[in-house]
Amino acid sequence: MMQSVVHTVLAGLSAGMFIWLVASGLTLIFGVLGVLNFAHGSFYMLGAYMCYTVLRYVGPDFWVALLIAPLSVCIIGYVVERWFLRYVYHLALPYQLLLTFAFVLIFDNLAKMVWGAGSVTPPDLSTLNGTVSILGRNFPVYNLFIIGVGPLVAAGLWLFLERTWYGRIIRAASSDREMAASIGVSVPALFTAVFVFGTWLGALGGGLAVPYVGLVTTGMGETIIIEAFIVAVIGGLGSLKGAFLGALVLGVLTAFGTRFFPAFDMFLTFILMAGVLLVRPQGLFGTAR
Amino acid sequence: MTESRIRYAVLAALLLALAAVPYVSGKFFVYLTMRVMLLGIFAVGFNLLLGQTGLLSFGHGAFYAAGAYGLGLFGAYVTPNPLLGVAVGIAAAAVVALLVGYLCVRHTEIYFAMLTLACGMMVFSFVWNARSITGGDDGFIGIMRAPVTLFGGLRLPIGKDSQFYYFVLAFFVLAVWVAHRIRISPFGLVLSGIRENARRTEYAGIPVRKYRLSVFVVSGAFAGLAGALEALLESNARPFMAHWTHSAEPVLVSLLGGLSSLFGPIVGGAFFIAMREIIQRYTENWMLGFGVVLLVVIMAFRGGIMGAVENLFGRRSAGAGR
Amino acid sequence: MGETLLTTRKLSNHFGMVCTARELSLSFEKGVVTSIIGPNGAGKSTLINLLTGHLPVQSGRIDFLGREITRMPIHRRVRMGICRSFQVVNVFPGLTVEENVMIPVLSRSMRAWRPITRVSRDAAGREEAEALLEKVGLSGVRGTPASSLSHGDLRLLEVGVALAAAPTLLFLDEPTAGMNPVERERLLGNVRTLSREGKTTFVLVEHDMDVVFSLSERILVLHRGELLCDGTPEAVRSDAKVREVYLGEDVSDLFRYTRTEAE
Repeated sequence: MMQSVVHTVLAGLSAGMFIWLVASGLTLIFGVLGVLNFAHGSFYMLGAYMCYTVLRYVGPDFWVALLIAPLSVCIIGYVVERWFLRYVYHLALPYQLLLTFAFVLIFDNLAKMVWGAGSVTPPDLSTLNGTVSILGRNFPVYNLFIIGVGPLVAAGLWLFLERTWYGRIIRAASSDREMAASIGVSVPALFTAVFVFGTWLGALGGGLAVPYVGLVTTGMGETIIIEAFIVAVIGGLGSLKGAFLGALVLGVLTAFGTRFFPAFDMFLTFILMAGVLLVRPQGLFGTAR
Repeated sequence: MTESRIRYAVLAALLLALAAVPYVSGKFFVYLTMRVMLLGIFAVGFNLLLGQTGLLSFGHGAFYAAGAYGLGLFGAYVTPNPLLGVAVGIAAAAVVALLVGYLCVRHTEIYFAMLTLACGMMVFSFVWNARSITGGDDGFIGIMRAPVTLFGGLRLPIGKDSQFYYFVLAFFVLAVWVAHRIRISPFGLVLSGIRENARRTEYAGIPVRKYRLSVFVVSGAFAGLAGALEALLESNARPFMAHWTHSAEPVLVSLLGGLSSLFGPIVGGAFFIAMREIIQRYTENWMLGFGVVLLVVIMAFRGGIMGAVENLFGRRSAGAGR
Repeated sequence: MGETLLTTRKLSNHFGMVCTARELSLSFEKGVVTSIIGPNGAGKSTLINLLTGHLPVQSGRIDFLGREITRMPIHRRVRMGICRSFQVVNVFPGLTVEENVMIPVLSRSMRAWRPITRVSRDAAGREEAEALLEKVGLSGVRGTPASSLSHGDLRLLEVGVALAAAPTLLFLDEPTAGMNPVERERLLGNVRTLSREGKTTFVLVEHDMDVVFSLSERILVLHRGELLCDGTPEAVRSDAKVREVYLGEDVSDLFRYTRTEAE
């Protein structure tokens, strides 16, 4: 029993880290740009496909792929922000959401055209397949690695936002755009930079997911974006701390749900979300509006 | 006086044209017209929430699904009477909308959109996972179209599409009429007050949250009606109905057609379905084509099709609202 | 004189370290036109916000018509008879002038819930709205969307929407700001007439001392959230503390004022 619980928690934590990677970029972009990006899940998916492509056609070194793939997706993020999103900041919310939704349709379809409608399987990644015994049962080392990456990204983000000049500018811009502009920051450039960085986080999640899931499909973005949304709601929209905690809780809860009540795994999440919102309508770390 | 007469004449002509469709056109066009009417019911109800009250829901697919599964389950276990089934579908959708709405109406704007999205996806996953009740990812199949019995004796068969068409048309006209009356009613005026200035509406003595919840349930009921009719049309109910990409459809067609008029969402719906058919005729990649069209529409014409038409003729919309 | 409408007991409010209301214990009597004055940041708007439910009460208690309303939501206070207008115009911009006042008129009965009847066929409601628009001087623009009104008309509408709720106690937050003399006279005339009719008791926040002294029977002076002085215009004018606070601000207005109106 103990063994089973520990393994479920670990599995949940590693799943939660992927949600966190997507939710962190989503939250950062929302916090600074004020736009909720439906296409963020597509960046995750594209990160995974690009990683697969590099592995397949460039070389079998996963780490090289992990370096190249997210950066290549950043170019797409740049295009989306610079040539489209930038022109709808002043429009009403539904238009912004629909614009990012249009990109979901476009990217999903493009991915199907480029990589086929079914799933693709990356070449052999057996070097990452090691396991370690925890309480007498084997657990994949790679998943432990993922559990390490999440907090690392969180710590990095925190240091960046709190301790660096750029971080302070970003925080200033998220609370008051005019103020940031008045101290000589080019707000449009800053927005582009933040969007591209958020894209990178999402794509990194996708790249990391390739050995974890073992196959890449077009649907993977749509699933994770919903989970990232739920996490953002639970944690409080715009709060990175909330997103991190929310992702871990959601990951673990879903793992328990799948293991013990397979028919109702999402239902637990729903109860969690409803409970949090009834007590704290603004989410765990959201500020009351 | 004359203007309203012209309007009635145009409406009557449109209605006649709609009624004539099964006589003058092929099966496929009859089917497509039904799809347009279903989407129209869905979107007209949805626009009571978005255009009238200013709330953007991304979870209305859940209520659509509740209507479809409600009708399907009722038909399978109680009686296949289609009128009762539709009523049960509407009621089921309203109940689900009440539960979801209760959680969501404290929020507005993006928070409301996210919450409704999340709640809608919960319904989706429930439908997907609860195989024993809903049939899971295969959908709930084998829904039949039993004849409609009216006034005790009159039996109207709706088995053929050309017969079922009038069943859909009747509900379509009813739904549009109800939506129209809501828009010009005191209730509708209060809703537009909430859209324009929620705080001031409170200072008019209006319990804003209750009104938001009410219109949420009403628009959920419209979605349930559309869902129940689709279940009859396709003889199945599918989990996809509750998926968020389906919830995005009424948002899309409302914005395409224009938020501020009654018929905007219907025009948008017709445009959406026509475009899907046309794009699909030339390419498999209709999502790509549609995404591009959507980009163009958002970047270029923000008032939607109806807005563009109105601008063209330089007149304001006659309906209530903005 | 009349019956007591509203009383507060030790009402306090802080924004961080700044105290915007300190243990205010006040009461408002029926029929007494009251003005709240004080330098900027004295807590005038805060007081209105607390009394009408705009701000949650941090400590203290409010009673209205013998019922505690300290935590009552805004719309229920309005239904009981407390309403307000806003300092910055705060109407329904996309609706016509008539629709603007129809909303509060309808909300006074359950009619506002009717989903199928037409607003345009609600003769009683429209008549009432029309009478109100006539009174505030906006019946000529009843079909105009509020967003295309002139500033002065917007201010009139702002007060009109508040009046349409038929309040027993009405707080007007700087109602004459930005009005030209004609509009101002019209508004003040309305306040006088309605006050004399006795259905509505007015409480104003004002900067314009002409308005304050010509209209009020009672003046409350606030300073840094505290009640500095509460009395008749004469008493307030001769109060030493008030002089001290107002030194250098509005001095000319406050002390050179002489009552010119024959009333």
